[in-house]
Amino acid sequence: MSARLSLLAFAVLLAAPFLLGLAMPQAQAQFWTVNILGRALVYGIVALSLTFLATYGGFVSLAQMTVAGIAGYGVAILVEGAVPGIVGGLPYALAVPAGILAATLAGLLIGAIAVRTRDIYLLMITLALAMAVSRFAESNIDWFNGYEGIRNVVGPTLFGVPFRQPHLFYYASLAAAAALYAGVLYLVRTPFGLVLQAIRDNPRRAAALGYDVALHRIAAFGVAGFIAGCGGVLTTIYNIGISPGSIGLGASVNILIISVIGGLGHPVGAFVGSLIFAVFDTFAASLYDRDRFNTLIGLVFLGIVLVSPDGIVGLARRIPSLLRLPRRAQAARAAETG
Amino acid sequence: MPPEPALELTGIGRRFGALHAVRGVTLRVAPGERRAVLGPNGAGKTTLFNLVCGDFPPTEGRIAFFGRDITGLPAHRRTRLGIGRTYQTSLLFNGLGVLDNLYLAVRGGRPGRFSFRRPGRGDPHLARARGLAERMRLTHLEERPVSDLSHGQRRQLEVGMALACDPKVLMLDEPAAGLSPGDRPELLALLRGLPRSLTLVLVEHDMDVALPASDIVTVMKDGAVAVEATPDRIGSDPTVQAIYLGKGH
Ligand SMILES: Nc1ncnc2c1ncn2[C@@H]1O[C@H](COP(=O)(O)OP(=O)(O)OP(=O)(O)O)[C@@H](O)[C@H]1O
Ligand SMILES: [Mg+2]
Repeated sequence: MSARLSLLAFAVLLAAPFLLGLAMPQAQAQFWTVNILGRALVYGIVALSLTFLATYGGFVSLAQMTVAGIAGYGVAILVEGAVPGIVGGLPYALAVPAGILAATLAGLLIGAIAVRTRDIYLLMITLALAMAVSRFAESNIDWFNGYEGIRNVVGPTLFGVPFRQPHLFYYASLAAAAALYAGVLYLVRTPFGLVLQAIRDNPRRAAALGYDVALHRIAAFGVAGFIAGCGGVLTTIYNIGISPGSIGLGASVNILIISVIGGLGHPVGAFVGSLIFAVFDTFAASLYDRDRFNTLIGLVFLGIVLVSPDGIVGLARRIPSLLRLPRRAQAARAAETG
Repeated sequence: MPPEPALELTGIGRRFGALHAVRGVTLRVAPGERRAVLGPNGAGKTTLFNLVCGDFPPTEGRIAFFGRDITGLPAHRRTRLGIGRTYQTSLLFNGLGVLDNLYLAVRGGRPGRFSFRRPGRGDPHLARARGLAERMRLTHLEERPVSDLSHGQRRQLEVGMALACDPKVLMLDEPAAGLSPGDRPELLALLRGLPRSLTLVLVEHDMDVALPASDIVTVMKDGAVAVEATPDRIGSDPTVQAIYLGKGH
């Protein structure tokens, strides 16, 4: 996506709460700001970590929601005011960096596994890992409060405003998403990012050129762990807590669905997919009964993968060339006859 | 005393299970020499290349590079010592741009390879990558993804990447294979323009390409060296005629 288009999208997102306020009653505008756009941003960040890995590294991991959950649980366990208090007592200013650090380390650990495992095997291993962590959280009372999880993680108070105040939550999420998105775009043009893509295209050749393939793979998962960790902190505050269900099979697969719907091919796909997912998840339930949501999202998923393997973003990219083609043909014909 | 050979292979062999792909090859390539390696399909030319470049170790024999034993060195260490190569089947980074490919090749041979800092305008590696693009006549394509290039342009890029490590010996595996007649002269002119300080080892199927470009020709068959002679004598050599005419060339 061009820089100009990115800036335009960012400007629209900046103005969105006010535009929504003009278009609909306040309560509804607030719902859209937090529960559609805000939610799309925070889950989009988690999906961004997967899109980054898949697009530039060629890895598909099902453990990115788990890594996000490690940051979420980390904050919930450490922070003051969470219920029940496990360790407690820490302010958000310390608990949040600790949670993100834990997620980054977890990412590096998965990276160490990915050095030797790829493709479907990596998918299976990360799936098993995700299941193991959520099962462990479910059965462990001392640290994770078991099935119930940890509640009342409301976020810090910034400038005297509680974090869950709709506009503050939205703009904080937007700032985090924009910074991480820009960070990914910067990173993939650094030597690290270029080597990562080179390894994706041809690991043998990259190694022959003198690059340390294992080191770059592990670092890529560390970066993805950091991104997912940031998303995990925000999703936990969005949900006012965390439970094993937030990192279970369904949640992990949802991240994959978001990334694929949006398109593995450009990081913006994570947010596009996340927005589509949030809209469907919210409104399909009222059109349909709740249980059919999975059928619907499954069909949407299938449709998009069949029509455009690189997702909605890939589809949008192809539209200009589809439109231009007939026009060029016309121009050529005009030139011939003229 | 004659100068130290750029490459010296002594009794080099490689087995793949029961298959003896290369056997008892002894070769001396002098500095600055242009050496062509000919031979029918499956003669072991590419395997011999891979042994010299360090893709896998030989099962027997010794390889020396300017007198230094490199038999056990991994591929990237040999690249850094000054052995550049191209591959028979093009091995480029297809998802990246032309300049990115060259930049990665330049940077691979140098320290500070792992970095999160974007190269600035004056970055010396980037400048060198631009220089290589110019030498390979690819400047106008610098920003294009490699997947857009024609077959001939891909070959030019391959040679550029092989030159990135400042090689003393350049190994080219069938550089002209599959090129259209239009692309061929461009690449051959480019190869002929390489300085004599560079030693060139060239695998070729096609005698018409190999002979004018080389000082000495080695013909391989069934993994072993069959004939070694100058280009003007090779055509009349009875063994070579048997190998090539027998194949209908
Ligand atoms: N990695 C490998 N594992 C097993 N066998 C191999 C391997 N590489 C090459 N061979 C075999 O070794 C023999 C020599 O192959 P090589 O590629 O060196 O021939 P070549 O002279 O380069 O042929 P061509 O002209 O077709 O490129 C062939 O029989 C091939 O199948
Ligand atoms: Mg070959």
